[in-house]
Amino acid sequence: MSDSFGRGLWASWAGFITLLLIWQIISMTRLINPSIFPGPMGVVNAALHDVPLNRLLQHVGISLLRVGLGFSIGTAAGVIIGVASGWYRQLGSILRTPIELIRPIPPLAWIPLAIIWLGLGESSKVLIIFLGAFFPVVTNTYKGMVNIDPNIIRAAQILGLRGRRLLLRVVVPASLPDIATGMRVGWSYSFGCMVAAELIAANSGLGYLIMNARQMGQIAVIVYGVILIGVINLLTDFVIQEVIIKRKLRWQFSGAS
Amino acid sequence: MSFRNSDIEVVVRHVSKQFPGEDPDVGLALHNVNFTVSTNEFVTIVGRSGCGKSTMLNIIAGLLTPTEGEVLINGRLIDGPGLDRGMVFQYSGLFPWLTAIENIEFGPRNVGKSKAERRALAQGLIELVHLKGFENKYPRELSGGMQQRVAIARAMAMDPEILLMDEPFGSLDQLTREDMQRELLRIWESRKKTVLFVTHGIIEAIYLSDRILVFNPNPGFVRKEFVVDLPRPRQKSSPDFMRYYEEIYEAIH
Amino acid sequence: MKKSMKRSIRHAKNGHIFGLSEYTVKIITVAVLVILWEFFSRIGYINPLHLPRPSKLIATLWELMTVGYPTGITVWVHINATVWRILQGYFLAACLAIPMGLIIGRSYLLGRATNSIITFARSVATISLLPLAIAWFGVGEVSRVLLIAYGCYWAILTNTIQGVKQVDANFINAGKMLGASRRQLFFRVILPATLPRIFAGMKIALGVGFMVIVAVEMIGTIKGLGALIQQARFYYSSNIAINGMIFIGILGLLISIGLDWLERIMLPWAVGLEEVKR
Repeated sequence: MSDSFGRGLWASWAGFITLLLIWQIISMTRLINPSIFPGPMGVVNAALHDVPLNRLLQHVGISLLRVGLGFSIGTAAGVIIGVASGWYRQLGSILRTPIELIRPIPPLAWIPLAIIWLGLGESSKVLIIFLGAFFPVVTNTYKGMVNIDPNIIRAAQILGLRGRRLLLRVVVPASLPDIATGMRVGWSYSFGCMVAAELIAANSGLGYLIMNARQMGQIAVIVYGVILIGVINLLTDFVIQEVIIKRKLRWQFSGAS
Repeated sequence: MSFRNSDIEVVVRHVSKQFPGEDPDVGLALHNVNFTVSTNEFVTIVGRSGCGKSTMLNIIAGLLTPTEGEVLINGRLIDGPGLDRGMVFQYSGLFPWLTAIENIEFGPRNVGKSKAERRALAQGLIELVHLKGFENKYPRELSGGMQQRVAIARAMAMDPEILLMDEPFGSLDQLTREDMQRELLRIWESRKKTVLFVTHGIIEAIYLSDRILVFNPNPGFVRKEFVVDLPRPRQKSSPDFMRYYEEIYEAIH
Repeated sequence: MKKSMKRSIRHAKNGHIFGLSEYTVKIITVAVLVILWEFFSRIGYINPLHLPRPSKLIATLWELMTVGYPTGITVWVHINATVWRILQGYFLAACLAIPMGLIIGRSYLLGRATNSIITFARSVATISLLPLAIAWFGVGEVSRVLLIAYGCYWAILTNTIQGVKQVDANFINAGKMLGASRRQLFFRVILPATLPRIFAGMKIALGVGFMVIVAVEMIGTIKGLGALIQQARFYYSSNIAINGMIFIGILGLLISIGLDWLERIMLPWAVGLEEVKR
């Protein structure tokens, strides 16, 4: 394993650097107008000069705040409704009907309606982000609640657990893996919704930054923004994956380290 | 029944297998394994889980190469998998996208047999394993025992000299397993083959084999060899059978 | 409390609630909601600008299907434009992603080399590329189709790669023992064994493509379902917006039902496929 792992590590760096080199070479040949197709150096240049750091941080901050807010509310609502629907099946049947009917509509399709309802302010964007998180979370939570190993429930009942204690101390923890999956999917949807909503209807945030750059013809800034969004997305997903899921749900992963 | 030297088909000589990159104390699966198998003999390798018996079988199959030592079949060094050896796996390994008969035809199709030839050959094998009527079922529609019967037929479609079986009945329930043991003996007696069988069930080994090799775990090597000198069909409750059982149990522990 | 809960769980077990089947409960719920909606709208509790009453929605629906909005573009034209764009982008992505996925999946080194690139490219929000696409390819169909293709590509690629890597070793070993050459092993074992996973990727990709097109159509075009609801925004017509959203929802549902049906036909042997994460 040591030998092929070493080669593999070398290969991953090689792949990445090769791509960068190809990009740099293509831009240097000036086959395409450099103001439309900037090379890596052009992007770095734009990053350093065209977007002052404090302005950038402001936009990033606003974007993250929006996603954070929408995601939190969406997750909270999703978990509560999911758990309730799974625990009280009659209620679940009734609650799930409108949810399942609305779910096929992509959150982004709500943008015009959200604007009509809430104007161009923060709340309309947070609504879209909320929708992005809500549906995966509520679906996965419900699925988790419904698909619990019945043996676990019987074992808990034999040990004397009933009612709310059964729910909170056994049923919900047993559904946590599914809830976590829903949250992870919900986060990536929320993030995508944030970018789209900011592109289409905002005057602050990362999406706006990119749209603005296009109007000003600063292609390099667009590329910078796109890459930045990708990096932030990766980082936040990594944080959720590693910290929350691996730590809190260590029991879910069986076997050797 | 004894086997003469000139009938020796498989020779395993000084075979060791070290899995790369692992801690040498852990990755040494086999160390200096030596044994032979004669033509049409039924030999079983018995041992606890993890004693290297599957690794040994895979080396003989040609799917793994030994770190040291060699395996000879009919006097020739093996070089990868070959049509002289067929294999049956624990979890049938049947291709789920093919029906039972298509699975059996898979091998002949690879070597270019015509459609009619393949079909006739496969049909004959279906009847041999008593699965007539189930030719066009997909594996998921068949029970565990039926799947293993198809797996056996599939391995025999290439008419190999040697049949390698890696805990083929391990995933079946007890009753089906006992049925399959009888089935296997019946098939073996009608189409004589050399069989190398791997299991961790002592009773199964005694019931089926001419000879039993007890493998020692970590690293694997042949700890003791037993010749089962009982006429078939064997009674699992007979005193002779029980005697073998106790001796082999001792040898394993 | 405990007794009624035991009863409710027991009832839920055979799907009957209040003595009615689950299906009936759902229909009744929908009917009740619609009736309440209409009722509260008529007596003035719901702002008609925000949430038009169902009868009005249906009237607009008819208008959309016949006369069109805005100025003569019927909903069929919109649907046609959207579907056509999705199909083009989707097939472009599939034709590129499946072969590439098969090749990358087979090679450990290639997999490691491309892994970081794929992980990053996948994290780039597809929609953020729209301004770039417009700058490079203009405001025409090409930009939109390429964007859909980008969105769909990664889901298909990663699932194909995983599918190839995760082919059960037993299948490959069995194939080798049964005399398959390298070429036969690839086409007759690895490829069929990977198909369910490829299909799963294609289902996910279609969902992604669908979401992307809706957003993409909100910028720079007047034909397409996304464009339709964007128009609704400028004309401040929640009526049109909601109708558009309903069409989008139904289209999405039809697509996913269609794919499930296709899978059942093409892969009748693949049952119990596990849920695939992103």
